[in-house]
Amino acid sequence: MRGFLNLLRHELRLHRRQKVQWVALVLFFMIVLILLPFALGPEPDLLRRLAPGLVWISALLMTLLALDHMFIADARDGTLDIMALSPVPLPLIILSKSIAQIVMLLGALAIIILPAALLLGIGFVVLPILALTLVLGVPSLILLGGIVAAVTIALQRNPAMLALLLIPFMIPILIFAVAACDAAAIGASALTPILFLAALLAMLLPSSVFIIAASLKHGQG
Amino acid sequence: MFITTRFANPAEFLRLSRWLMPLLAGAAVTAFALGLYQALIFSPPDYQQGETVRIMYIHVPAAWMGLMLYAAMAIAAGVGIVARHPLADVFCVAAAPVGAVLVAICLVTGSLWGKPTWGAWWVWDARLTSVLILFLLYCGYMVLRHAFDDHERGSRAGGIMLLVGAVNIPIVKFSVDWWHTLHQPASVLRMGGSALAPEMLQPLLLMALAYACLTACLVMLRMKTILVTRRADAAELMQMENP
Repeated sequence: MRGFLNLLRHELRLHRRQKVQWVALVLFFMIVLILLPFALGPEPDLLRRLAPGLVWISALLMTLLALDHMFIADARDGTLDIMALSPVPLPLIILSKSIAQIVMLLGALAIIILPAALLLGIGFVVLPILALTLVLGVPSLILLGGIVAAVTIALQRNPAMLALLLIPFMIPILIFAVAACDAAAIGASALTPILFLAALLAMLLPSSVFIIAASLKHGQG
Repeated sequence: MFITTRFANPAEFLRLSRWLMPLLAGAAVTAFALGLYQALIFSPPDYQQGETVRIMYIHVPAAWMGLMLYAAMAIAAGVGIVARHPLADVFCVAAAPVGAVLVAICLVTGSLWGKPTWGAWWVWDARLTSVLILFLLYCGYMVLRHAFDDHERGSRAGGIMLLVGAVNIPIVKFSVDWWHTLHQPASVLRMGGSALAPEMLQPLLLMALAYACLTACLVMLRMKTILVTRRADAAELMQMENP
């Protein structure tokens, strides 16, 4: 447990020291979000109706970008091999890396969700639900993405491959998240889709770290 | 256990395929001839859909086989990872394009049927969407597997992706029951007997048999080709090392 906490602190510190990357992700999210009204036309009513989906698409793309280098650096300089030899079990190491990544992304989203809501005209009824879907959905995205990133690690950085393999699995999360926001927008209960999101996360959290550990152990050879 | 141990030897598999493959090919040709005649000429038109109902005889068995082949690949991937069965990866590599084509047939014929019946080539219905995801999973597996030069690593990476993708199988199957959208619910296998008239059920089952034989035959042929190609590669490598 101590080892796990130390690792988590180490990973978080690494993310904190790489501020440029973090800022780049935040700006990327904003740029995508600014681009979409140009593509769809600036009518406020249309944008308000589509807003949760637009925020989610931007969040998905941001996650894809962040995942691209989740394990690569550690695999390349040998850190991963040393970690695999340490007394802390590999799944716990993966968990610490994933949690650090989740904290980093959710922190970025927390900062930009308000400006995004202003830009797209998201009301105060939908905003908390949208935030909740992001809090429940983004960790699932990271864990799923971790599996794909680990499986493709031997291929040395291939963002197109990552997207092709990961996006089919992102679709259910996107469906439930947008369904929750749409229900909130018309004043209905958003409970069912939110429970689905929570269930997906509860299912992924214990299973994915073992899958990632297994594919990392054999993926490098 | 018999299958897993005996056919761990690829030579044994090749010997089996020598007599089983012509048998399957013959069965497929016969079943297609009978099934297509019954489905396209002999069977009655539907009282609501008219002649377009005949698309169903091509569409439904393709969907069944496309889904079943993915399930078989996922099982083979599990066996390959746990038991390191040498034929598991060969089976998955051989079956993937066949399954992708079956799902593509299902999507295209469904679209052709949807235009006159629903009035649209495509609707974002739960069943249609989940089958489209199945098609993307096939494509993703093929691209991933081909990106690896090393079969050992490629089979592991591909196998893990196949197993993760297996969650989509129950979603495809039960999507019509969980979300009541446009696609009609299961009517052949259901509680209280089939909802299909016998004169429609018979050609459908014949076509399903034909598709099954053809799929098995094609997968076997591709497995044979892959085994022979790998053997030739190994021989070439050996010759290069000790000229």
